[in-house]
Amino acid sequence: MDEVQDLLGALRERAKELNCLYRVEKALAVVSGSPGSIIDEVLDAIGPGWQYPEICEARLLLDGEEWATPGFHKTPWTLSIPITVQGEVVGALAVCYTEARPHEDEGPFLKEEIRLIQSLADRLGHWVLYRKLESIGQKWREIGSAEARDTTPSWQILVDLLRETDEALYVRISRKMLNHLCSIGLAEAQSMLCGIDADHDPVNAGTGECNVPERHIASDHPLLVSGRPFDVAARNLSPEEIILRVQRWVQEDKAGIFLKVLDGPRSTLIELREALRRFHKIAPNGVGLPISTLKSVRVALSQRVLTEQLDFVQTAKDHVSVEFFRQIMDRIVMADDSHGKLGGKAAGMLLAHQILQNYGTKASESEEEVGSAEKARDSKVLASVRLPRTWYIASDAVLDFIAYNDLEDLLHQKYKSIDEVRRDYPNIIRLFKNSTFPPELVKGMGAVLDEFQGVPLIIRSSSLLEDRVGSAFSGKYKSLFLPNQGTKQECLEALLDAVAEVYASMFGPDPIQYRRERGVLEYDEQMGVLIQDVVGKRVGRYFFPAFAGVAFSRNEFRWSPRISREDGLVRMVPGLGTRAVDRTDDDYPCLLVPGKPDLRVNLAIDEIIRYSPRRLDVVNLEMNCFETLELQDLLNEVGEEYPMLTQIFCVREGDHLSRLISNLFDPTGHALVACFEGLRGRSEFVLQMRETLRILEEDLRCPVDVEFAHDGEHLYLLQCRPQSQADLVAPSPIPRDIPAGDIVFSADRYVSNCRIPEAKYVVYVDPDRYGELSTAALMKRVGRAVGELNKLLPKKQFILMGPGRWGSRGDIKLGVSVTYADINSTSLLIEVARRKSNYVPDVSFGTHFFQDLVEAGIGYLPLYPDDEGIQFNQLFLNRSENLLPELLPDFADLADVVKVIDVPEVTEGRILRILFNADLDEAVAYLADPGGELVSLQPAAGEVHKPMDQFWRWRRQMVDRIAAELDREKMGVKAFYLFGSVKNASAGPASDIDLLVHVTGDKSKEKELLDWLDGWSRCLAEFNYQRTGYRTDGLLDVHLVTDKDIENRSSFAVKIGAVTDAAQELPRPDEG
Amino acid sequence: MSDNNGYNPFAMAQAEFDRVAKGIGLDSGAVELLRNPMREYQFSIPVRLDDGTTQVFRGFRVQHNDACGPCKGGIRFHPQETIDTVRALAMWMTWKCAVADIPLGGGKGGVVCDPHHLSPREQEQICRGWIRQVCRDIGPNRDVPAPDIMTSAQHMLWMLDEYDVIHGGHYPGFITGKPVGMGGSLGRTQATGYGVVYTLREALKELSLEPDNTTASVQGFGNVAQYAIELYHRLGGTTVCVSCWDENEQISYSYRKKDGVDLKELRSVTDGFGGIDRKRASDLGYEVLKGGEWLAQEVDILMPSAIENQITGDNVTEIHKRVRVIAEGANGPTTPEADKVLKDHGVFVIPDFLANAGGVTCSYFEQVQSNLNYYWELGDVLGKLDVKMTSAYHDVSKVARRQKVPMRDAAYMVAIGRVASACRDRGWI
Repeated sequence: MDEVQDLLGALRERAKELNCLYRVEKALAVVSGSPGSIIDEVLDAIGPGWQYPEICEARLLLDGEEWATPGFHKTPWTLSIPITVQGEVVGALAVCYTEARPHEDEGPFLKEEIRLIQSLADRLGHWVLYRKLESIGQKWREIGSAEARDTTPSWQILVDLLRETDEALYVRISRKMLNHLCSIGLAEAQSMLCGIDADHDPVNAGTGECNVPERHIASDHPLLVSGRPFDVAARNLSPEEIILRVQRWVQEDKAGIFLKVLDGPRSTLIELREALRRFHKIAPNGVGLPISTLKSVRVALSQRVLTEQLDFVQTAKDHVSVEFFRQIMDRIVMADDSHGKLGGKAAGMLLAHQILQNYGTKASESEEEVGSAEKARDSKVLASVRLPRTWYIASDAVLDFIAYNDLEDLLHQKYKSIDEVRRDYPNIIRLFKNSTFPPELVKGMGAVLDEFQGVPLIIRSSSLLEDRVGSAFSGKYKSLFLPNQGTKQECLEALLDAVAEVYASMFGPDPIQYRRERGVLEYDEQMGVLIQDVVGKRVGRYFFPAFAGVAFSRNEFRWSPRISREDGLVRMVPGLGTRAVDRTDDDYPCLLVPGKPDLRVNLAIDEIIRYSPRRLDVVNLEMNCFETLELQDLLNEVGEEYPMLTQIFCVREGDHLSRLISNLFDPTGHALVACFEGLRGRSEFVLQMRETLRILEEDLRCPVDVEFAHDGEHLYLLQCRPQSQADLVAPSPIPRDIPAGDIVFSADRYVSNCRIPEAKYVVYVDPDRYGELSTAALMKRVGRAVGELNKLLPKKQFILMGPGRWGSRGDIKLGVSVTYADINSTSLLIEVARRKSNYVPDVSFGTHFFQDLVEAGIGYLPLYPDDEGIQFNQLFLNRSENLLPELLPDFADLADVVKVIDVPEVTEGRILRILFNADLDEAVAYLADPGGELVSLQPAAGEVHKPMDQFWRWRRQMVDRIAAELDREKMGVKAFYLFGSVKNASAGPASDIDLLVHVTGDKSKEKELLDWLDGWSRCLAEFNYQRTGYRTDGLLDVHLVTDKDIENRSSFAVKIGAVTDAAQELPRPDEG
Repeated sequence: MSDNNGYNPFAMAQAEFDRVAKGIGLDSGAVELLRNPMREYQFSIPVRLDDGTTQVFRGFRVQHNDACGPCKGGIRFHPQETIDTVRALAMWMTWKCAVADIPLGGGKGGVVCDPHHLSPREQEQICRGWIRQVCRDIGPNRDVPAPDIMTSAQHMLWMLDEYDVIHGGHYPGFITGKPVGMGGSLGRTQATGYGVVYTLREALKELSLEPDNTTASVQGFGNVAQYAIELYHRLGGTTVCVSCWDENEQISYSYRKKDGVDLKELRSVTDGFGGIDRKRASDLGYEVLKGGEWLAQEVDILMPSAIENQITGDNVTEIHKRVRVIAEGANGPTTPEADKVLKDHGVFVIPDFLANAGGVTCSYFEQVQSNLNYYWELGDVLGKLDVKMTSAYHDVSKVARRQKVPMRDAAYMVAIGRVASACRDRGWI
């Protein structure tokens, strides 16, 4: 029972305290009363709030004056708290007990009471400030009324007030007035200026005619202090103008202080934040400042906070507001002395969102106007595009982190050889994860987690170099998902761990290599970090967005002539966008063209199903991890709770796909296909996407690539950057001076950007001859021959040309029957549409396996040889020596249908170069000398071609070494050959080394040989890993052939003495 | 639209017809009538595209012969459609319906267009436009269209709706390939696979083979193959090998279990397209062999149920001596070259257009049910299918024995003979 009594007692005390606070608040809220009566009221309210009200008294000291309750006198049991206004002590509030009472937390007082008196003192401080401001306001109001009475001119009151309160400002304004008067040509003012400085020649001043520096006018010149310029002004300007000017100058002057902080290279982010707050009070969002000043404020802020990249800043200044920065600044985690920025990714995302918001709002406002353009109406949907909740870690925090853990050595890491960098990287990750963060950063991130309680997070890199034009750095630095479940301590540890890992990725081999190639290694890279909530919804035990993906403003994968480049392209998947951003080899994203949302890549039901996403990525909240699920399993589990179910999925009923048109549908147990039917047409999503891409490309002045997610209610923008080169091949200039005889073909319809610098082989299926084949079986054989050639010719070094649609499933007459596997090694697929008696057959635009072509990066071009102005060198294609009979003796009968041309062989070492320019809608293929500089029209954005040399050269050296070391007698080797990419000098980082060994056939020797080579193979694989990061079990691909094989020309024996890509025999060491 | 030179599908179909007609000594008037379509329609379909421009599409309908009943055949959307292709396919439909002994004739139609470049609304306009052009010459009692290349159930429903609107009533029997619940028939998925095995069962009886004691190897694991295996197992047979295409590796594999494939188990590791998960199958104890191995198994029965041209002159010799029957579930799986070898080896081939006639028979059932506006239970559909397939088989088999020709030739003979008789009975020839 005692416990209950104690509890009740405590509660009673709290009630009294609250009551006291309430009464004080009520008293202070009175606007009209005299200060004395208000204070009396406050003091009366204080006593009853204490534990022993009957002996409690209070006193307030303020600006030298004293108010107190009658019984107040200083006793040993007194609490006194200073009252401060804007950091200055202006008085004190005291409470005392007049008699002794039992000891509590502090003397006889409870700790709650100490907090109470502190709150009261704070509140009184605010009240005092308010009264002061109120009295200034009063004075200003009096100016107005003074003018009406016409005693003292109102501007005079204003100027006097200025002189009293801030003399320095007064002098500056006086100076500005003088300058103004001179500038409007008042002789009186000019002579005054001359008076200040005898040498001043008002006529020639500032013209730079004289080569002596102009004299400086002291800022405290008595003439300025005296206020004489105002007297002159009074005679020549209207009072209204003087007031207006003075007011504006005062405001500008205050903004100037802010600009000083902003421009000061030494001012920290925190100082900047404080300055912004003050600036906001003077001129919320810069209202009333001249446009030029505002612009320079926005430029300076963009440079300080976002990025220094000039073209970015140029665009940003027109879109971002000061208020925008003020809000961001409150969400930055930083050290006290931070000078960092938010980094490229954050900058791109923020600017893009701001641009969309501006358009969206403008469109909504202009909607009422009569006859507003349709485009503007469409832009309205942009106002609802959101950004995820985001916190930022300033980019230089990584340096603090490094310094705090004494890891400065790592800053030289970038100059190490790439092998070393690769070797060190795992250790650096470990090292970073075991390091501690400076306490202020830990505190900052703790605060972030308070806001993001229990919401899955994504931690994304935002380095200074990221997302700049020309170095998009896509995927080079890390982004990590955090389920953010568990106790706060656990979550904080996971967050710190993730940030450390993102930091460590600065020292990874990929970004360093990339920076080296781009020539930005010396740039002082810093790593900003974004902490965002994952866009999505909790569904069952999972968390994920309804759908997400990536969108490009330029479409380089057009499957229909009705789609133009500007129509854009969206790759999207259900769940987290990871599966749309990265290409997965076992699944396909859904493709949608925002400009032509009704055209579908896939039509037949089996194609639709095959090329629809089957898996999705989610955050598993229970297991606290990131997971990939089978879509069907998830739907069976969560059913209709899946957000936007009806828009994303169709139900398969036999061989019919039905759209879902109501929520009545229970998806469990049904076969659902994620074909996004409900989002096509003129859905809000399509409009949002189309407008987003259009406007961002327009305003950022370059094609853009945007990541997005949709949580079922809103579309979120996650990233915006220049469309990367991997997706956007720069258009090539089309040379105009190619000798006519060198041109093999040209095209001027439906040209995408693509580039085949050096094709060595052409496989040409003659459309006329193909059409003349008498049986379907013969036509099938053509397809098989192409499939064989695809296996035989060196990868990506040949192009395929043939009639109509490759891979036609219907009438075989219309195109060579192949599957994707039959063409997957080609670099370019050309569909030739020759005019038939009265019509030109349509080409397929690679539709049938279009998505496979896209994922494999195979180029596509339709050719219309019979169009006017088109060149088509039939002679070259038909008359050049045909390798087919030699390459594929079994298909020799098709030699007049299928031509295989070894270009260097028939042109004395030249190659076929094919250049595409989608902007001009032109392409040309011509014979050229190999090598030579290839110009790109967008050099800044040009993908740097990796010097392939590095990959084959050492492989080749190693092969020579193996050949030299090989004990041929002991291991039963008759001859030793090299073929494939190493022989052709086209090996890439993941290429293996193809060896052909002619053996005697002695099994025991053979085993010894294979064991010996296996050792080399593993060793070289490790070596290759160190250099390139590609992990393989072995690097040697060894093929053994015997005399019999060579005789029968079976298996790889055909490579010996083959017509193309023949295996090269390596000499014995003694022949050396 | 046709080219005069080179490969012409219609000329090939005519040549094939001429060969068989000669073989059965067909009346010259009948030959003249049957080598060409009875009626052909060619027309323009103007469509206002989404961007406001108008495009005119070329449409066709060929009615090869309707002596046995209303014409039946698909509508194709294809950018390089030619009248000759359509003619050839229409003739083929006549034989196909006739061999199954269903009271329908042969037709085919199409539109020269590429749906990849057309929005659904534009495609709908093409469908409706097509119907408006020929609505007086087609119908449940005249000519019954169905889905084909690049057309789907959706296109059929648009066409049906347009037809209904024009004629002011409901005519679900006007078109087939509709979804269940919208005038479609149950049993469509099972029909072809079951049909293959109904004929196989009869063949085994004739060869005095007990299904219980037989083994089979199947190429393909799609709809046809899966249902064929299902029914074959119910008859007591054992499947030891199944091959299928691996979409990821772009190569096919054969999966063998010598003591018999467990269909349920194998289906559990198969995707919606009949692709078997290699690793999981291997974990279940299936031997993973090269794609072509299905052909070389020591079994009694081969069921090529995937794509055309699989048994060729090159690989026909790999077929094991034990093989007695080949039931062609796929279209054209055996090349003529291979056919000759099989004939010499005495392998009994149930030809494709008899073995896989279950599909067209089920379409016929759909039409019957639609006309009655009364829809049967699954058991009814499959029961009636059995009756139809069994009797079709015996009709062909009788001719084969009597004329001492292979089943393929016999099937052709039966088909052509039936159509010719109907023409005669109607007094056309």
